[in-house]
Amino acid sequence: MRKVAVVGGGAAKADKREASWRDLVQEAGKAMFDDVDNMSPKDVDSIFVGAAQPERFAFLTYVAPLVAEYIGVTPRKVLARTELACVSGQAAIRYAWNCVATGMSDIAVAIGVEKMYPPDMAEAQTSMACVLDREWDGVNSISAPPFFAITAQRHMYEFGTTKEQMALVSVKNHHYSSMNPLAQFQKEVTVEAVLKSPVVAPPLNLFDCCPMTDGSAGIILVPAEKAKKYTDTPMYPIGSGQCAIGNVINNLASLTEWIPLKLAAKEAWRTAKTTKDDVDIAEVHDCFTISEIMEYEGLEFCEKGKGGKFIEEGSPYIGGKVAVNPSGGIMGCGHPLGATSIYHTIEILRQFRGDVNKGRYVKGAEIGIQHSLSGAANQHSIIVYGREAK
Amino acid sequence: MNSVKFEKIKRQHKIELPFMLDFYPLQDEKHTRISQFFKNLREGHLTTTKCEKCGKLLWPPRIICSECLSEKLRWVKLGTEGELYAFTEVRLGAPLGFVQDAPFCVGFVKIGGLLISARIDDTTYEELKIGDKVQLKVVELDDGRVFYRFMPIK
Repeated sequence: MRKVAVVGGGAAKADKREASWRDLVQEAGKAMFDDVDNMSPKDVDSIFVGAAQPERFAFLTYVAPLVAEYIGVTPRKVLARTELACVSGQAAIRYAWNCVATGMSDIAVAIGVEKMYPPDMAEAQTSMACVLDREWDGVNSISAPPFFAITAQRHMYEFGTTKEQMALVSVKNHHYSSMNPLAQFQKEVTVEAVLKSPVVAPPLNLFDCCPMTDGSAGIILVPAEKAKKYTDTPMYPIGSGQCAIGNVINNLASLTEWIPLKLAAKEAWRTAKTTKDDVDIAEVHDCFTISEIMEYEGLEFCEKGKGGKFIEEGSPYIGGKVAVNPSGGIMGCGHPLGATSIYHTIEILRQFRGDVNKGRYVKGAEIGIQHSLSGAANQHSIIVYGREAK
Repeated sequence: MNSVKFEKIKRQHKIELPFMLDFYPLQDEKHTRISQFFKNLREGHLTTTKCEKCGKLLWPPRIICSECLSEKLRWVKLGTEGELYAFTEVRLGAPLGFVQDAPFCVGFVKIGGLLISARIDDTTYEELKIGDKVQLKVVELDDGRVFYRFMPIK
């Protein structure tokens, strides 16, 4: 297996955009190619397109050739669309990485896209509610907000987690997103504002939830030994873990402890020959405030049930124990499903390069991880990146 | 030079909710091999399949055991009384077909050795608490399909 490098990436501004699905792809494609030297779209031999629900959101299927066409790529080795709900983008990265590592591809693009603001938002909510088992959970209106609300209620019940602790996650992430030009939210929020925002599904208020987002982001992967031809500052995927347990509510391993996350993390540390203590930057899936709290626990940055305390003590801030979501997270940056994970990658790349606003710069970071979850938090994916190839 | 012709054409604005946007499962023998589940429900019984070979209680109902791949499954009753494990109330962002019902309660219910999601009817978020006993309720759609819900035992 060859070592692989991410040599560059670019993204469309994430927001409620006055732009179509294919406009977003073109913006990300151009930004991505502009970010690397000595490469044209014609050099790319493989492309993976992370797209969760183009059928629903853009009434398109068979999108890999369409995206290739729009960004000028003529794939001659491998191409596919990857779908894994909120983790569709990370699935694209994983396949691109594997294809380059095995030699099936020499230059691969992983690009994600989602257009989540159709003219009628009830349609978007309907699409989201068929991510969970539509006939047995979706039918009960268990889409993401009610699922995570129920999770939060149970976490509060079992561990004494408070709404104020959850609000602190939103405060932190909006603080960082206010300094990220790619982010959907450019304003800070206060604990009071979170607690007073409209109730979506108790105990979750609006500012406990990530927004719907239009966005697209892409990265380019090449063999590590060729990386310096395209950039002075490549970044290397050095380990990964992925795990899914069950799908319908009854078959989840646990509601209040994300076992698949713990297993994915264990595998990620093993393959990267590193530990949680070496992680400088963690871009994690804060689709809801409770999610990030449970990720502190699942990644074992703190003990089970102590995630609320962890944020209360300031540990996930830059300068704390580990910088969690210095990008502003999904909460602040937005969550265009198929593209979300690739925004994570670009954030870690730019952090390594020192190419971010001072106020959210994690100086001297050597190890960064990206984490995404999907569905009823039954599936978790982690990729570990290093400044050096291992 | 010919002039460009402008013409107005009609778009169909409203259609009935199509099946592929309908959350309720298709239930008769023509569409599923677990139609017995819905027949049982119509008679007031919440049931699922249990593997005769390995004993695994399977949810949702299956035609093949996912533990041991046996096709010998039998229908077992789960009872009509459950316990509320956790719950919320959908206030914003309900999908098409449920928008008109909001606000409504949904929860995870422990029943017959399972933990299943369900609508919790005839109550509000404030009235409920974790551990409450809930009673099975069957709703019938106007096209004859049925589904299970729960309601508090007062």
